[in-house]
Amino acid sequence: MQLLFAADPELWGIIGISFKVSMSALLLALPIGLLIAFGLAYGNFIGRRFLITSFNTLLSFPAVVVGLTFYILLSRQGPLGEWRLLFTQPAMIIGQMALAIPILVAMGHSALQAIDRRAWETARTLGASLPRATMTIMREARFGLLAALLAAFGRIISEVGASMMLGGNILHYTRNIPTAIALETSKGEFAQGVALGLVLLLMAFTLNGMLQLVQGKGRLAA
Amino acid sequence: MISIKFRGIEKSFARRKILDCVDIELASGACLLLCGKNGSGKSTLLKILAGMERPDHAEIELGGKTYSWREAKKILLHKSIYLHQSPYLFEGSVWRNLDYPLSGARAARRSEIEYALEWADLAELADENVAHLSGGERQRVALARALLRKPQVMLLDEPTANMDTDSRQRTLSLLEQLKQEGIALVVVTHDPVHFIGKGEQRLMLQSGKLTTPEEPLVAGNISELKPVSKVGS
Repeated sequence: MQLLFAADPELWGIIGISFKVSMSALLLALPIGLLIAFGLAYGNFIGRRFLITSFNTLLSFPAVVVGLTFYILLSRQGPLGEWRLLFTQPAMIIGQMALAIPILVAMGHSALQAIDRRAWETARTLGASLPRATMTIMREARFGLLAALLAAFGRIISEVGASMMLGGNILHYTRNIPTAIALETSKGEFAQGVALGLVLLLMAFTLNGMLQLVQGKGRLAA
Repeated sequence: MISIKFRGIEKSFARRKILDCVDIELASGACLLLCGKNGSGKSTLLKILAGMERPDHAEIELGGKTYSWREAKKILLHKSIYLHQSPYLFEGSVWRNLDYPLSGARAARRSEIEYALEWADLAELADENVAHLSGGERQRVALARALLRKPQVMLLDEPTANMDTDSRQRTLSLLEQLKQEGIALVVVTHDPVHFIGKGEQRLMLQSGKLTTPEEPLVAGNISELKPVSKVGS
């Protein structure tokens, strides 16, 4: 606690990197995830069910396997080796996006599918263009979509496998909260590990509180 | 003035022909009452007329030109409006729902919404959340919202179903006004007797065919409308 309140620059630097990387990954994953979720909820095409099952399966994909997959792709000998992204923040962002997208798709799809079909037909018959009708449906499903967003953020800010493998745990650059906890614990420096753990715990509590609030509002509005 | 002729509408679901070479003409100020058993394809026909459901085949004559349904889809979506049996209102207030089909400057939108609220006798409910409205009030909000879209054709699926007498009378009165304003109405109903004296034309959808019942409509004797001849034949 002393470390936190003493504004230890190293500690706060790690927290800053964590939020920067995870927020970037979430913002980049959001439009992709929502678009796929919308296509799965409202589209009628061959392979739709297969895709839904695939994204639901990816929900339980271990972060370390995602890390390994992108490590192979981004390593010097890999197909994307020329991009020289390995052990950089962009590599961590890519890995976290891969973890966030399945959550956004699976939970987003459920939220969108729960919206009455008449909403889409009503928007269209009232003259809404396709993008506006899509935005209308997103608004109707906003509580469910926000829950998906918070769940995705909770998953990527606390994952260690992909960040460790793709970021390399470089101090002041790619060291984030989970990788720092792993390192400090391996060195026997429990104080900093516990302080960072408290930050994650506080954040998880805040996210869950927000989720409860949002879901409560959703129930009231319904 | 508008005149849209649909010819040879065909639609099948799972190899079952729901609509079999249906012809129908929509004209300004006319009111078509569409009757038929549940599952006879009435709602599907309305959605095809509204440009919302693709038929297997249809030709549309509009302004002296003949289009396929696919070519006419945009025009149909633009000129007509479809109202569900139980209208869907977007989450939020009555005002927000009425604002939905409008575009342009805020002052102009405000004036249009205020007119629609007065028209549908909803002025006191402007700021009410739609979740708190009764079935009759929801239907009036949907009608006012449809009016603001300025359609030339209005397609209504059971607009007076499950309503008490007062709500039904209010809704019928609004429909009468829409008709007088020159809007072509197509109303799916199981109770055509409520529309007596509205200058309506009754049609019956049975086994995929659209026919005109021969018997005159008499209050209290509406249950059996027997088809005798195919419209346009």
